[in-house]
Amino acid sequence: METTIKVNQLSKSYATVKAVDNVDISVCRGEVFGLLGANGAGKSTTIECILGTKKQDSGRVSILGMNPRNDRKKLFERVSVQFQEANYQDKITVAELCEVTKSLYKTSLDYEDLLKQFGLSDKFKSQVSELSGGQKQRLFIVLALIPDPEVVFLDELTTGLDAKARRDVWKYLSDLKAKGLTILLTSHFMDEVEALCDKINILKNGKSIFYGTVQEAVATSPYEKFEDAYLWYTDEEEKENESI
Amino acid sequence: MKAFSTLFKTELKLSLRGMDMFIFAICMPIVMIVILGIIFGSKPAFDGAEYTFLEQSFGAVATIAICAGGVMGLPLVVSDYRHKKILKRFKVTPVSPALILAVQVAIYALYSVASLILVYAVATIFFGYQMSGSWLQFLGAYFLVMLSMFSMGLLVGGVAPDIKTASVLASVLYFPMLIFSGATLPYEVMPVALQKVADILPLTQGIKLLKAASLDLPIDSVLLPVIMMIALAVTCIGVSIRFFRWE
Repeated sequence: METTIKVNQLSKSYATVKAVDNVDISVCRGEVFGLLGANGAGKSTTIECILGTKKQDSGRVSILGMNPRNDRKKLFERVSVQFQEANYQDKITVAELCEVTKSLYKTSLDYEDLLKQFGLSDKFKSQVSELSGGQKQRLFIVLALIPDPEVVFLDELTTGLDAKARRDVWKYLSDLKAKGLTILLTSHFMDEVEALCDKINILKNGKSIFYGTVQEAVATSPYEKFEDAYLWYTDEEEKENESI
Repeated sequence: MKAFSTLFKTELKLSLRGMDMFIFAICMPIVMIVILGIIFGSKPAFDGAEYTFLEQSFGAVATIAICAGGVMGLPLVVSDYRHKKILKRFKVTPVSPALILAVQVAIYALYSVASLILVYAVATIFFGYQMSGSWLQFLGAYFLVMLSMFSMGLLVGGVAPDIKTASVLASVLYFPMLIFSGATLPYEVMPVALQKVADILPLTQGIKLLKAASLDLPIDSVLLPVIMMIALAVTCIGVSIRFFRWE
């Protein structure tokens, strides 16, 4: 199958700290890839280097066969990004933010439909700052989907959503995945990772400590539940230190 | 182009929703010209002057909006959008973050031109103002003042590390220029010592240019202000391009 995101030996340091250390990622079309790890493990830096908003020290990145730094304009017609932070203007309404986002792209989806599917159609005229945390999070997913992307980067996908809204988002993303959308996401919820991700990469101190499927992660750990396995992978060193 | 016009429309709406530019760039110059008109009416600028005090002040009042937009509005919006990572968000779209800056410059230019038209209309209709100089020269000088003030604002917004610093720097530039460059308090009523200090402010030089153009005064007195305005614009634009922080 066609590889849409390809990362080879990516490294990036801040001063003396290695934020990302020789990370490899390979995602095929229609796959959901989970980049996991505790806060400060290097997930955000990895994503920023992949998107070209930060320059890596070494390693190669390509998305849809393009270099994100050199082919920025062409690439971001087909790739979209949902950010963690709420980066929108003061006093802007939901409809205005959607309209502005739409105007940046050559092709786009009908955002009224998307808002309806994410349960936000009654918030059309509301100011973004007045939405609840979960509503904002859903809006940011809508914004990432407006350009009808082939690849989407979702950072902390469902943080702040209630159980029902999370299930709705999963269902919607699974449908898009079936239609060939490639998704790279970060998440702190292991049930979500299990439900959505075909492959995962667990980072710790910038290094990749596990790469493979969720089933493989469980099989190579002494546990039966993925969340336990995940904690076992990320805690391993501490446990070794404790036993000394 | 679609992105520019949609952004322009939205950002203008947001700016009007904020009200501050409407007050400082649209209402304040009108209030100033009305006050000057009521106090001085058609009195001559000085004994034996060929032009009235109001005619002399027109060019100065016309810069209030440029000053408000250029050194107050622009630096604040640029540092605010950087702080909110809006500029960074544009980096992962097909358009450049420079587009939203261009939109902001266009909005403040629109405020300035709207203010010029309104001030001119009020002065003409209510106080019998007449432009004795050349409109072409006046507009040339007007856009030169705009260029230098806006480039100064972009520089402050582009290099200030955070909103707080940007707002302090903007105030340091805005209030002295608003009061001492002749935009509000007429330069001619200041004591000579204060005029000497005021001459350092770039806007003072800009206003001298506008006065010369609107009153049809001889050209030799304008060379220094023209050079100062251009030098300021070139320096600010150059430094901005080199040191602008996008995030």
